[in-house]
Amino acid sequence: MAVPGIARGPLRPRYDAVIIGGGLQGVALAYELARKGMRDVCVVEASYPGAGASGRNGELIRSAFSSPEWATLFEISLRKWHTLSAELDVNVLFTPAGYLVLASTEADFRRCRLAAERHRQLGIRTDLLDARSVCQAVPALNPDRVAGGLFQRDGGFAHHDAVVWGYVRAAAWQGVEVHPFTTVTGIRVEGGRVTGVETTCGTISTPMVVDAAGGQAREVAALAGVALPTRTLRLEAFVTEALRPFLRPGVALLSLLGYCHQTTRGEFVGGTEQRIMEPEDSLRTTLVGLRDACQKFVDVFPLLAGVRLIRQWAGVVDLTPDLAPVLGPAPEVEGFWLDCGWIYGFMGAPGAALLLARAIVDGRMPAPLAPFTVERLYTGRLIKEASLVVASPESAA
Amino acid sequence: MKRILCLCHDVTDADIARAVRLGYDHPETIKRFTGALMGPCQGRSCAELVLDAIARETGVDPAMLRTPTSRPPSFPVRMALLAGGERVDR
Repeated sequence: MAVPGIARGPLRPRYDAVIIGGGLQGVALAYELARKGMRDVCVVEASYPGAGASGRNGELIRSAFSSPEWATLFEISLRKWHTLSAELDVNVLFTPAGYLVLASTEADFRRCRLAAERHRQLGIRTDLLDARSVCQAVPALNPDRVAGGLFQRDGGFAHHDAVVWGYVRAAAWQGVEVHPFTTVTGIRVEGGRVTGVETTCGTISTPMVVDAAGGQAREVAALAGVALPTRTLRLEAFVTEALRPFLRPGVALLSLLGYCHQTTRGEFVGGTEQRIMEPEDSLRTTLVGLRDACQKFVDVFPLLAGVRLIRQWAGVVDLTPDLAPVLGPAPEVEGFWLDCGWIYGFMGAPGAALLLARAIVDGRMPAPLAPFTVERLYTGRLIKEASLVVASPESAA
Repeated sequence: MKRILCLCHDVTDADIARAVRLGYDHPETIKRFTGALMGPCQGRSCAELVLDAIARETGVDPAMLRTPTSRPPSFPVRMALLAGGERVDR
């Protein structure tokens, strides 16, 4: 138990597919697999559903990326976000209040202008805003930190916990079993094929395993003998007391490496990264991270100076060298699939789950997924995406 | 009669009972579903009452309940105060 829709009985000895990780990727994929007609799908989760990064992220949603690979995948996801509450019959509090990429310098603004050009070519609706229009749209911004911006009108944010619960419940209606507090201890591989999963609640026989273990994805892949060239990174976020509505859209601070929004309850939620981040898998937070976030956000939104911060937390992600997710089969082990390496996983999950379920059930990779297979990490043909707000030695952002 | 347990978000014992009835029966998910322990006091004034209500509704021994993690800061702090001093980044 933990949330509605959780499996009530013990693990069965056999399933057609076992998804490791009951975060948003895992439960959304389970739902889509069941909708495609796959029977006996099981999700095993070490804690409660959504306990990892799915409940720790910044909740923002956009498709306005600058590479065709990212933009195509996330546009499919964004379209799903707009109808997700109705589809899952759960109010996920999707708020299409827009997503503003704030340019604080002329160099930022040039990046926004290039991105807007790409969006036009890709058919994604964004507006390039001059400094005055940005200040009009978000009057709380410090005008000295506004050089312009890029606005995606139908982007926004949603309530991350509600989305996980919605998918769990909808998956359960389709016959999926979600087993919380069940830790995977081994993956059985015989003759190059997946044959089973060993857990703290018993061993399962299955021909298909999906690694959707988020921050623990590399360790889970290693259990199947698959070496992922990823690294674990800790990200920190914070929330303030509730205050009067002052900020409608979600905002990304391009060169300041920050992102934020005001929740429907009135709290200001945000996170920042420093230019250099040490690899780290602890869930503890740091004073340095807290001070960095406060310095940047008080500078950008001066009214926050007097607002009280009430909580800081951390989450871990498992990052690929190009910061794009890994979606598709692991070539060295038949029946072992990867749905990991996410950093924009919250916004990308609904679309990726839909496409990955097609790939698994139809046995053919949909075109938007093809660039994201793991092979690119071995051949070095990485995806170049320039509009990520993530600190990394590899990325331009 | 309903009793308010969480003064920050007006969560009552009836809200906890309803959450458990619906299937949110773990302290971490009850917290997220009801908003209890998530307000400015972060459970400092209400955690005992809320956890007692959870224990009562779920039938789990209060000593066995997982208590949601306490996080910094120890009390609400104005952001300007935390922003003081030398710049961290750059």
